[in-house]
Amino acid sequence: MMNKKKKLTVTLATMMTLGTILSACGGGNNAANTGAEATNGTNAANTATDSGAPDTSKEVKLKMILVGGQPGDYDKVFGELNTKLKEKINATVETEFLDWSDWTQKYPLKFAANEDFDLVYTANWAFYNDQALKGGFMELTEDMLSKYMPQTWAAMPKVNWEQAKVDGKIFMVPNNNVEVTDKVVLYREDLRKKYNLPEINSPETYANYLKTVAKDEQAVTAFGAKPADGWKFHELDQILLEQNNNFNLVDANLLPLAYKLDDATGQIFNIYDTPEFTSLLEYYKDLADNGAWSKNVVSNKNDVWQDIKAGKVSSYAHNLGTVGANLSEMRRDKPDVELGIADLTPDKKKIAAIATQNGMSIHATSKNPERALMLIDLLQNDKEIHDLTMYGIAGTHYNPEGDDKFSAGPAAGNYTGFSNWGWNSPLNRQDAAYPKEADDMFNAWQANVYHFPLETFVFDTAKVKNEVANIGNVMLRYAIPLEYGLIDDLAKGQADLIKQLKSAGIDKVQAEMQAQVDAFLAAQAK
Amino acid sequence: MKQKQYGFWHKVKKNRTLLLMLTPAVLFFLVFAYVPMAGIVLAFKQYNYSGGILHSPWNGLDNFRFFFGSGDAWRVTRNTALYNIAFIIVNNVLQIFAGILLFEVAGKWFRKITQTILFLPYFISWVVVGAIAYNLFNFDVGTLNVLLKGLGMQPIDIYNTASYWPFILVLVSAWKALGYGTIMYLAAITSIDTEMYEAAEIDGANIFQRIMKITVPNLIPTVIILVLLAIGNIFRGDFGMFYNMVGNNGLLFSNTDVIDTFVFRSLTTSNEIGMSAAAGFYQSLLGFATIMLANYAVRKYDKDRALF
Repeated sequence: MMNKKKKLTVTLATMMTLGTILSACGGGNNAANTGAEATNGTNAANTATDSGAPDTSKEVKLKMILVGGQPGDYDKVFGELNTKLKEKINATVETEFLDWSDWTQKYPLKFAANEDFDLVYTANWAFYNDQALKGGFMELTEDMLSKYMPQTWAAMPKVNWEQAKVDGKIFMVPNNNVEVTDKVVLYREDLRKKYNLPEINSPETYANYLKTVAKDEQAVTAFGAKPADGWKFHELDQILLEQNNNFNLVDANLLPLAYKLDDATGQIFNIYDTPEFTSLLEYYKDLADNGAWSKNVVSNKNDVWQDIKAGKVSSYAHNLGTVGANLSEMRRDKPDVELGIADLTPDKKKIAAIATQNGMSIHATSKNPERALMLIDLLQNDKEIHDLTMYGIAGTHYNPEGDDKFSAGPAAGNYTGFSNWGWNSPLNRQDAAYPKEADDMFNAWQANVYHFPLETFVFDTAKVKNEVANIGNVMLRYAIPLEYGLIDDLAKGQADLIKQLKSAGIDKVQAEMQAQVDAFLAAQAK
Repeated sequence: MKQKQYGFWHKVKKNRTLLLMLTPAVLFFLVFAYVPMAGIVLAFKQYNYSGGILHSPWNGLDNFRFFFGSGDAWRVTRNTALYNIAFIIVNNVLQIFAGILLFEVAGKWFRKITQTILFLPYFISWVVVGAIAYNLFNFDVGTLNVLLKGLGMQPIDIYNTASYWPFILVLVSAWKALGYGTIMYLAAITSIDTEMYEAAEIDGANIFQRIMKITVPNLIPTVIILVLLAIGNIFRGDFGMFYNMVGNNGLLFSNTDVIDTFVFRSLTTSNEIGMSAAAGFYQSLLGFATIMLANYAVRKYDKDRALF
């Protein structure tokens, strides 16, 4: 009897434990399972080569993947879109949205699992090169482009197609829109006036502002640092390290390797191993010691803009477009708070975003690439469809003002927040409430955009992927705490960082990149 | 005595009810454990979409180079094992202790309520635990530091000091696992024959003697099974825990990095499936070796108590 009971207990205990293990396995195996589904061959890239006008006699359903949250009025707007598409190209489209919170994890899985979809948003910051090299996108030939998207083919500057090339092949229909990638800072103009500080237009004046706010505004954190979610360089680095020194990082998400904008020979160097980085560290350390940002900066997970809006944070760095939109949002919601936008590097070279900043691609295994291309053509260049997909339904989500401006409609909030930028084009309307100062700044920049030979260079990591993975890890572990002034001995910290990078194989990666740059420049010179 | 030989189908027929009951479990493991095991081939392949799992080109041991060439392989492996050993020891001791206490304490209601309260943390997701920890420990407005400042003491900078973290992690793990394990041990204690206690009481054993001489020895088989099962996973870091508690805080990595977080961080940007498969394979091999060894050791000591 006793023995039986003991057995029972042991069995019970075992089962309970197994239960835990199983539930853990269930979670862990998901990725493996989706991977397993990807086995079926994917070479079915059937590029239609028949001549004549595109055949649209058969109705098709397209599936599109965009990043960002699904807008509240998706059904309304896309319902309307589908009525129009049915008429024009005998197709309808169904869209899946990958929410901002986890799109970076889901996006590659869509390809790895070879899910059934036809079009997908992509960008140089959203896996474009990576997925193109891995074979996730269909190659777009000039024949296909001119045949199925005649309007786009006519309207798009040829240089955009050049910029969209990876390994000499086009995998993306880039957007057709001029953007400048330089970053600016958003700050509290009312606080600057309150403390009678000089105009902010340089790293020094900005440091002065941050330190004053840190000292005199107890309840406000001076600088809202970006939450650590795996990035290697943040926007303030981009301003102070790249823009300020006319450097350009080749792939800021992966590697600390950069070149000088005006260096025609394209010498690649390790940005951590420069006197400019050393002095930036001193600049940051000074701010950190004066309490310009929280000591928990690397563990904080708050949304910085929401903190600024709530009055808890006084400043942050971002794209001009984003802070412009922030500014008009604040003016609308909290008119008593006065914000300002400042360019800390006004006299340095401005870089235009290359066309791949936004775009749309066709999935490598799409069954209807022709119709998908026709859809992109309409999205980008058909006034009626472009307006509908960019701004929603006139009178509800936006009010058209003339041909190129709009103002927010009563339900504007129900149709926003996702990557319809993929088909930005000259047909874009501008928000009539967009702050004039941001617009002026942009126009001034546009006149000074600097073009350089390596503008469209893309680094192929295939040969050094082991090293790249390890270098990323070293950057997270050694560089970010150092930059946020959390390590007291700067010289030792920097030396450690460089030493660790060396043992992670930075030299090999640098040599490989240099070889690719040389080949790229040589090909260009021809 | 010679046993009569029965055919295979006869045995199946005879035990059909038991076999039927076993089917779901067998299917589960087949689908979620054995079939995916074939995915190990990815560790030796250069994965690409058009080739998929089966047709991607082989690349030998290239995928392993990333992990072992990083210079961190030893450190993260050691961290993983040490953390898990600490978790196993601390959690089991606490759970047994709590189980015995609950068993000895009179009052059905008290016992039920305590059990429930102890069990609650088990259901809190690590994401939430991470947020709670941040609110407790952060430098500027964390509860702990506000308290310290209120008492006129220096605040402690926990999120920038690696040496606190092993203690915090062990503590949090113990807190979260306590209820679950306690119930398991309580069940084991409840099934100990009460006649033994009665006999001991008549013989004049006091409560401590009863615990040490009856309860604890009777718990040993359960402990051995639980520990053996846990040892198989000793090289798998609890990713949910480490990632949500520590996140991307580079200052803490020296003491908190486990294999899983290290691999996750290295590969999220590059999405090299082959390299993550290689790291997983390495963990499985180590886990397999440890469980075989541990089981062998138990067998040597007492054959009946080994898992297999």
